[in-house]
Amino acid sequence: MIIELGHFLLALALSLSIFQFLLPAVGVKFNSYSMMKSTSIIAYMSFILVLFSFASLVYAYITSDFSVSLVAKNSHSLKPLLYKISGVWGNHEGSLLLWVLILTFYSAAVAILGRRLPLKLLSLVLSCQGLIAAAFISFILFTSNPFVRIFFPNAEGEGFNPILQDFGLAIHPPFLYLGYVGLSVTFSFSIAALLVGKVDTIWVKWVRPWTLIAWVFLTIGIALGSWWAYRELGWGGWWFWDPVENASFMPWLAATALLHSSIVAEKRDTLKAWTILLAIIAFSFCLLGTFIVRSGVLVSVHAFASDPSRGLYILLLLVFFTGGGLALFAKRAPYLKSGSLFKPLSREGALVINNIIFASAAATVLLGTLYPIFIDAINNSKVSVGPPYFEAVFIPLMVPAILLCAFSPMLSWKRAIMDNIIERIIAVFICTLFLASLIIIIYGGSASAFLGLFLAFWLICGTLYEFLIKVGVKSSFKTFTQRALNLPRSAYGMSIAHIGVAVFIIGATVSSAWRIDIEKPIILGEKIIVKDIELTFKGIKKVEGPNWNADRGEFEIIKSSGAKYLLYPERRFYPASEVNTSEPAIMSGIFSDLYVVLGESLQEEDSYAFRIYYSPFISWIWFGIMLMAMGGILSLSDRKHRLGYGLKKV
Amino acid sequence: MRSLIKFIFFFFIITNSVLAADSSGPKDKVAYELYKELRCLVCQNQSLLESNAPLALDLKKVVMDKIELGQSKSEIKTFLVDRYGEFILLKPKYSIQNFLLWLGPIFFLLIGFFITFAFLKKQSVYKEEPLPLTDEEENSLKKILDNNVS
Amino acid sequence: MKNKLKYFYSYVPLIIFSILVLFFARQLILKEDPSELPSALLDEKFPSITLSRLADYELFSNKNLMDTDNPSLVNIWSSWCVPCKVEHEFLMRMREEHNIIIYGINYKDNKEDALKVLDLNDNPFYAIGVDQDGMQSINLGVYGVPETFIIDRSGNIRYRHVGPILEYDMEKIILPIIIKIKQEKL
Repeated sequence: MIIELGHFLLALALSLSIFQFLLPAVGVKFNSYSMMKSTSIIAYMSFILVLFSFASLVYAYITSDFSVSLVAKNSHSLKPLLYKISGVWGNHEGSLLLWVLILTFYSAAVAILGRRLPLKLLSLVLSCQGLIAAAFISFILFTSNPFVRIFFPNAEGEGFNPILQDFGLAIHPPFLYLGYVGLSVTFSFSIAALLVGKVDTIWVKWVRPWTLIAWVFLTIGIALGSWWAYRELGWGGWWFWDPVENASFMPWLAATALLHSSIVAEKRDTLKAWTILLAIIAFSFCLLGTFIVRSGVLVSVHAFASDPSRGLYILLLLVFFTGGGLALFAKRAPYLKSGSLFKPLSREGALVINNIIFASAAATVLLGTLYPIFIDAINNSKVSVGPPYFEAVFIPLMVPAILLCAFSPMLSWKRAIMDNIIERIIAVFICTLFLASLIIIIYGGSASAFLGLFLAFWLICGTLYEFLIKVGVKSSFKTFTQRALNLPRSAYGMSIAHIGVAVFIIGATVSSAWRIDIEKPIILGEKIIVKDIELTFKGIKKVEGPNWNADRGEFEIIKSSGAKYLLYPERRFYPASEVNTSEPAIMSGIFSDLYVVLGESLQEEDSYAFRIYYSPFISWIWFGIMLMAMGGILSLSDRKHRLGYGLKKV
Repeated sequence: MRSLIKFIFFFFIITNSVLAADSSGPKDKVAYELYKELRCLVCQNQSLLESNAPLALDLKKVVMDKIELGQSKSEIKTFLVDRYGEFILLKPKYSIQNFLLWLGPIFFLLIGFFITFAFLKKQSVYKEEPLPLTDEEENSLKKILDNNVS
Repeated sequence: MKNKLKYFYSYVPLIIFSILVLFFARQLILKEDPSELPSALLDEKFPSITLSRLADYELFSNKNLMDTDNPSLVNIWSSWCVPCKVEHEFLMRMREEHNIIIYGINYKDNKEDALKVLDLNDNPFYAIGVDQDGMQSINLGVYGVPETFIIDRSGNIRYRHVGPILEYDMEKIILPIIIKIKQEKL
C-alpha cells in the first residue's frame, strides 16, 4: 500500500510540476501579480509530495519488501541497515528519484530564500525548475518506475554488487546530485535572465552563492568517489579517467570556471553573457553525464545497467534543455548590455585566462571521452582513449592556471599596477625554487616530481604572501590582527581553497613519484621491509561475514617507532551473487599509506601472491580536496552572500 | 597580453617535455610504462599494469620478452596493434586519424584567446578610458585608504 | 558586417551541440555493444603459428588452410572452459549436418584433461593443435575461450566469433558467412 501511495504522490508531483512551469510563465506574460506570487506555494507542495514518495521507497527497502521489484533486485535482508538505505539510490530508478527529490528541494529553497527577488525573475526561475522537474518525473514514471511490484515475490532479494557495500560509495551519490542539481538552479537563473533580457547586479549576487553551493557539493562528491575507488578497487589508484568519472569531472571544471567568472560579473558588471553561457554549459554537462552513465554508449567500469531506450529519452532531455538553452542564448545574448572595460593585465584579465583554461580543460575531457564515438562514426574503427592521453594533455593545461592562481589575487581590478607585482613574483619564485629543489635534492626525484612540487609550493608561497600583504605584515601586531579579523570570509575562503589545491598537488605528486610497488609471492613467516616498516606474513584464516565468507590474511606491521599494527587483507566470496572480491587492507597515515592486497595461493606450500603498495602522502589528495570544499563553505558564510543582503524590499 | 600568451604556451611546452623526458630508461621502467599504456582487453577499463586477468598476464609476458630482446616501445606496440587492433592502446596513436584528439586542447586554448582578444579590442574602440592617476593623486588616495582601514 | 558577425558568434555553441547530438543519436540507433571488437586480422591471411600434437590426433597447422576447396572454422577451446561444453553440441551439428570442416586449437590446457573431453564426447575436429602457453593464440588476437575464426578458401580470416556458438549464432551468423564464401569465385 505504501508503495502505491508513493507512486500516486509522484504522479501528483508531476501534475504540480507542470503547473509550476505554466502558472508563473503565464503570470509573467500577462503581468499577473497573483499568479506569480502563488508559484512559491506550488514549489513547496511539490517538494513535500516527492519527499513522501521517496520516503515510501526508503520504507520498502528498510522493511525488505521483496514484492517491490526494485528491492528484490537490489537488496537483501542480510544487508546492514545503512546499505539498505543507500541501496535506495544504488540503482538507476532509485537514483533518479533522489535526483528529483533534491531538485524539488532546491526549488523550494529558491522560493523561500528568494522572497525579496524581483518577482518576474523569481517566477521565471521557478517556472524553469518546474519544467525540469516535470521532465525528470515523467522520465521516471514512464521508463524507470521504482514502484513496480512483482506478483510472486521470492523470499529473499538478489543481493547486489558487494563492491557497493561501502560507506564512501553509499554517500557519494547524494553529494554528487546535490552538486548537479545545484547547477540546475544557475541554469534556471540564466534562462530567466535571457528571457527578461537583462542581467543586473541582483542577478549576479544571486548566482554566485548557488554556484558555490553546487561547487562545494560536487567537490565533496567527487572526492568521496575517488576515495572509495582507492580503497575498494584493489590496485592503489584513485582516478582512472573512466567515462563515468569524467562525467562528474566535466561539470566540476565548468562550475569552477563559472565560480570565477561570476566574481568578475559581480565586481565589475562585465562578462555577463559568458557567465550565462557557462551556467547553461555546466548544467548541460550534468545532463550529458547522466546520458553517458545510463545509455551504454561507452565502455566503463561503473555504469548503471545500460539501456539504449532510456538513453534515447535522456538524449531528448538533453536536446530540449541544452538545445533550448543554447538557442535562447544564441538569440538573446547579443542584446545584453556589456559592462565596463578592463585591461588585459588586470584581475579581470587573469580570471578570464582562468576561464579559458578551465573551459579548454572541460572541452578536452569531453573530447577524450567521446572520441571513440566520433572515430567509430567517421572511420568505423575502434580506438580507445585512456589515462595516458588525459594525463598527457590535462596536466600541461593546468600548469599555467596554477601559476596564475598564486599571484592573480595580487592584481588590481581594471588595470594592474605592475611595479610591486614583479618584485613579489620574483620573491615567490625564489622561495619556491629553493623549497622544491631542497626536497628533490634530499629525496631524489624525477623532473615531473620537481614540476609537481614546484607548482604546489608556488601556490602556497604565493597565496600566503598575498594574504600577508593584504593584512599588512609590516605594520604593528595590533593592526595586523585587526586587519586579519576584518578580512571578509570570502577572502579566507579563497586562500584556503587555493592552498587546498596545493595540498592536493603535493599528494598526487609525492604518492606517484615516490611510490614503492612490491609484487611477489610471500611465504608464511616471511618478513618484508618497506622504508621504515617491517611486515611479517602471519598466515591465512577462513572467516565468515554477514553475507560473505573469505580467506583472510594476517600481516603484522612494526614501524620504526615500535608501534605494532595488524592488517587483514581478504579475498571474499558472496554466495548470493557468486562474486569474488579482493578487499585490500590499508594502513592509512598522514604521511603514507600501506596498502596490502591478498592474491592467489601459489603452487609452493603456504605461499601466496601479494601486492604491497607504499604510497607516501596519498591522503593529502583527499585532505587537499576537502580543504578546497572548506574554503568554499567559508566563502559561502560570508555576510555579503546572506541572501537579501543589500537588497531593498520589492 | 601577447607576452602573457607566449608565457603560457611556453609553460605548456615545457611541461610536456618534462613529462615526456621521463619516458626512456632501464628495462623495468620501460615495461612499467608500456603496461600503463596497454589496455587489459578482458577487463572493463583497466590497464595491463592494474590487471591480474590471465590474458593480461600473458600479454605482460610478451611485452617483457620483447623488451629483453631489445625491441623499442613502438615496435612492441605495433606488434600488439597488428594482432589486437588499435583498441589495445590506451594512449592513442599519433596518427592523422587522431590528429584532432591530440591537437584539440591547444586548439581550444587558441580559440579561447582569439575570442578574448576580439572582445577586448572591441571594447576599446567604442568607449573611452579615464586617464590614469598621477603620482600625487595616487599618494593622497593611498593615505585616505590607509586611514579608513582600521 | 562586423555587427552581423557578433550575432553569428552566439550561435556557435548551439551548432557544436547539434553536431554532438547527431553522433549520440547514431550510437543509440545502432545499439552496438561498445565492448565488442572485430578482429584486427579481418581479411588478412591466417597468421602462421606452431602448435604441438595432441596424442594421436592429426596435427593442425597452416597447411590445412592453404588451397582448400572449402571454407573452414578454427575453434579455440579448453577442457576447463564451461561455455565450450555448451558450444560442443553446435560444433557437432555443423560438422555432421552441414559438413563444415572444423579445426581445433587447445588453449592453455592440460593434455590429459583435453584428451578426456575428446574421448567422452564426440570429436568435432578434423585436426587439433595444442597451444600450451597461449602465446600462439596471441598471434591470432585471441581474448580467451571459446573463440572461432571463419577461414575462406584462400586462407584469409573472414570473421571472428567471441564466445560460444549457440543456436542463434550458428543459424544467423556463422552459416550465412560460410554460404557466402562458398558462392564466391576463387
